[in-house]
Amino acid sequence: MRRTFLLALAAGLLIAGLAGAAPKPLTWALSGNPDSLDPQKTAGTLTFQTVRSLYDTLVEPDAKGQIVGALAERWQTSADNLTWTFTLRKGVKFHNGDALTSADVRASFERIKNKEFASPKASEYAAITSIETPDPSTVVFKLAKPFSPLLAALASGWGAILPKSLIDSGHDFSSKPVGTGPFVFKEWVRDNRIVLAKNPDYWLKGLPKFDSLIFQIIPERAVQVQGLIAGQIDGSDIIDQEDVPMLEASGKVNIDRPLTAQIFVLAMNCSKPPLNDLRVRQAVNHAIDKQAVLDVAYGGGKPVGTFMNYGNAYYRDFTSLYPYDPAKARSLLAQAGVGKDTVLEMVLPANYPPHVKAGEMYQEMLSKVGLNVQIKLVDWPTWLKDVYTAAKYDFTAIAHTGKLDPDGTLSGYGTEKRYVRWINATAADYIAKGAGAVGEENRKKLYDQAMMIMAREVPFVFTGTSYRRVVTNKRVKGFRMDPILDTYDFRHTELQ
Amino acid sequence: MVPGDPALVIAGVDATAEDIAAIRARIGTDRPLPAQYLDWLWRVVRFDFGTSLTSGQPVTALIFERFGLTLSLALLGMLISLVVALPIGVVSAVRRWSFWDYLGMGFSQAGMAVPSFWLGILLLLALAVKIPLFPLFGSGSLRHLVLPAVALGIARAAVLLRLTRASMVEELSKEYVITARAKGLTERMVKYKHALRNGLLPVVTIAGIQLGYMLGGAIIIEQVFSLPGLGRLFLFGVYQRDFPLIQGGVVFVAFAFSLINFLVDILYSVLNPRIRVG
Repeated sequence: MRRTFLLALAAGLLIAGLAGAAPKPLTWALSGNPDSLDPQKTAGTLTFQTVRSLYDTLVEPDAKGQIVGALAERWQTSADNLTWTFTLRKGVKFHNGDALTSADVRASFERIKNKEFASPKASEYAAITSIETPDPSTVVFKLAKPFSPLLAALASGWGAILPKSLIDSGHDFSSKPVGTGPFVFKEWVRDNRIVLAKNPDYWLKGLPKFDSLIFQIIPERAVQVQGLIAGQIDGSDIIDQEDVPMLEASGKVNIDRPLTAQIFVLAMNCSKPPLNDLRVRQAVNHAIDKQAVLDVAYGGGKPVGTFMNYGNAYYRDFTSLYPYDPAKARSLLAQAGVGKDTVLEMVLPANYPPHVKAGEMYQEMLSKVGLNVQIKLVDWPTWLKDVYTAAKYDFTAIAHTGKLDPDGTLSGYGTEKRYVRWINATAADYIAKGAGAVGEENRKKLYDQAMMIMAREVPFVFTGTSYRRVVTNKRVKGFRMDPILDTYDFRHTELQ
Repeated sequence: MVPGDPALVIAGVDATAEDIAAIRARIGTDRPLPAQYLDWLWRVVRFDFGTSLTSGQPVTALIFERFGLTLSLALLGMLISLVVALPIGVVSAVRRWSFWDYLGMGFSQAGMAVPSFWLGILLLLALAVKIPLFPLFGSGSLRHLVLPAVALGIARAAVLLRLTRASMVEELSKEYVITARAKGLTERMVKYKHALRNGLLPVVTIAGIQLGYMLGGAIIIEQVFSLPGLGRLFLFGVYQRDFPLIQGGVVFVAFAFSLINFLVDILYSVLNPRIRVG
């Protein structure tokens, strides 16, 4: 009796000892609460940053932005580019135990394409006319017309594969996500934290390399910084340049400064005088010191001369077209006959302080060349409606997020669909042809033309692409942030 | 009408016109406003507040999962506020223009002038970073609530303190106080039994109103202390034009406010027998 007790005690102590030795979970700071954890029902970046660890896609971008196989081992397209055949990886399991089959892939894309489901991303899959599943590991997409951007849509967060059994039973994916991803969903206390645990059956053997991942929702920047210094937070990617010296001085963190894939712009409404006059838009471009705006408002970056992010495979340098030259700006404005009596309205999204700061800099630079610009601050829904949808503005400062495919960045420009209301049939035609063309070289030729026209006709001031600051605790090794999708990849991350 | 369209917020910047139209049809904002409103009213009388447009969760569930925290924070904040305000206010009134009065009034001025987010950050830096007695972020235990309740309580205390003082000063100058003194009651009895009881009435009213406000959430404090309270829920409801959530929130807060006012009225009769009915 006593011996059993002692044995039990020893075992208990051993277990307690082991449990005590279990490493601390990795705690990552999120600046806000995701709307939903359903990858097909939202456009919110916070959602995709979280669900990247819960779901996989058929294909995915690698570290260089090249699209490689993920749940699909390989794929091929027919000679007419109307049939895309994906061969699924074998032995992949969903977190609920279901084995991944072609039926799950089909059910996932039928869900996102379903009109009643009303996914914000449905149109990205509009080219798919039917999905066939000849056998459990083969999926065939039939397309109405050749559409190269589809591959990027399959690699983006909303291309996540969900289990058919749960789709059929009406499972609430928005609060209880179930995927094939490297981590399994445990708990979400809204506006507080999201807890994930390692998926022991993940299809990349030996990954992930740590057991528990916590997304801690911390809206206050100062608290994130203090949490990083105190070692209570292991990482954050939304650190301001002003906080860098304090973080560096702590000696507790590594600071990485990769380029984002964003394009920061001063957009101009080309449908209204005086900005419908090319000379005025050129003057505005000469009036802006792009590097200064990037450095002061956006924490540093690289100027771009056209509507493509620096570092993109499709980027071409047109920065020499409109250098900073206030004298030239003044003479162009004089030619166009625009003076102080013309009041221009700059509508800025008040919830994004960097854009407000940039807007104030733009205003000052424009006033130096003789333009009278009034700032109006609005909240995000008003901006979306008045500026982005109804084009009731003259200027606005905003950033366009990175896209895996150039069509995602450029589509719709040159037509009245886009908020700059810049009409150019030639550019629009090149952009439309670019989506149907196949192969990077062929597409590049078309997009080069479109980007050149945009660079010359300047519906924007193409301010540039910014750096971000990813701060991690020194115990975190091998963290990767997708440069284009802004999502977190913890699969190769190790804790020391 | 508040500008903005929830379908545009849900759709994000890359959606096409077709995507946006489909979202409008799903959330029902493609119908005329009166139809939407009547539909909402009809559901509300059956206690169905609908589902949040952005999260897809029932509005009542979203509110109730946060109510516990907001109620605890409000009660703790109010407790701290009363514990600070009442003694200082009474002492200030009883010893008017003394050193203690000036100290109390100085504290009140400072408490009203200091923004609560700044006080919150200072408290965090002092008592969660320099001396790590309290957690820096997160929620779930009483320890997580102490600093935010202090930050919230101090701001409220500043107001209540002035009110307590003014109300006590007024009571002490009334005739019944002179009568009480004339009939030979001790100063202690006069001040702390007769005057205090009457002097507290306006304080209870204002404290009740303040508690009602706090039940709607303390947005800034929740933001600084990363607390999942009602304030942030409703704030994001407004940011995202999540109409069912905002409307449900307004009904909820109005109800909580009425309930508190009712309780205050009951408390009145306990404090002051003259108000008792029958």
